[in-house]
Amino acid sequence: MIDAAPGAPPPDWPRAGDEIGAQNFGPFAQEALARYAAVSGDDNPLHLDPEAAKAAGLAGPPVHGMLMLSCFEPLIMGWRRDLFISRLSAKFLRPVLAGDGIRVMGRVLRSAWVPKPELILRLTARGRSDDLVILAEAVVQHKNANLIS
Amino acid sequence: MTACDPAQAAAASGLAPEPGENAPVRLPAIEVRTEPDEVTGFLRETGGIGTGDFVPLTFPFRWLALPAIRGLILQLTGGEGFLPVHESQSFAYERSLHINTDYVLDVEIEASEKPPRLILKMVVSTAGGEICARLETVLRIVRLVAETDI
Repeated sequence: MIDAAPGAPPPDWPRAGDEIGAQNFGPFAQEALARYAAVSGDDNPLHLDPEAAKAAGLAGPPVHGMLMLSCFEPLIMGWRRDLFISRLSAKFLRPVLAGDGIRVMGRVLRSAWVPKPELILRLTARGRSDDLVILAEAVVQHKNANLIS
Repeated sequence: MTACDPAQAAAASGLAPEPGENAPVRLPAIEVRTEPDEVTGFLRETGGIGTGDFVPLTFPFRWLALPAIRGLILQLTGGEGFLPVHESQSFAYERSLHINTDYVLDVEIEASEKPPRLILKMVVSTAGGEICARLETVLRIVRLVAETDI
């Protein structure tokens, strides 16, 4: 950590408007969905059975929303290793079908150093046609904040 | 037809629902453990970085697949011909989870009818009762269309 004046954020602390560079995840083949179902327990046939997906009005099995949401943690940790994600909330807006990938990125909406070093991040995941598939927000804190055990 | 009545489902599962038509159903506390091989496997399939020395943020979601929780979700979904579709998800952490550690889950499920949804709230606490994380999962219940309906 770089020293700063008391109460002032260190020079490397992110500011509002800073971008978290885009990162690609996937493509998520049907086999990847089966493996995720095995490790997560989410074996909803919607994701694994083309007929179930068709009956739900989809052209093919959609990628698990939680598999895509899980991509935000490596995105943030790859950006800065000194953060603790205290909150993450997301809406799943559109399905991404098996075989497709996503591009995730983020931007700092708000930055604070006192009373605690905290950032509010806007996170998005976009599909093949650049369509927005997940809209999310995260609250992250510096690992030295006393909240963390 | 919509998802079945939570009070009926709770009665069928032997749980005592709170009074009221759509009262949330609260499950008895469930003990879980962050088994290292399960954490490592989860990390491997979710693009995680590191070597499995931490518990991924979304890992507690897998506990919704435990039989007691899954069974109630399936009952409330309405059975054959309906599927839950994940609509939104939130995690709020007060402290990190650690590998190879025991935790206790408190789970509450509420059903709404227009549109049919299940709202699951899970609190993850240490064995000593300190709250670590809160999850909220919203599932939209979708009726499957049989080929003869198309």
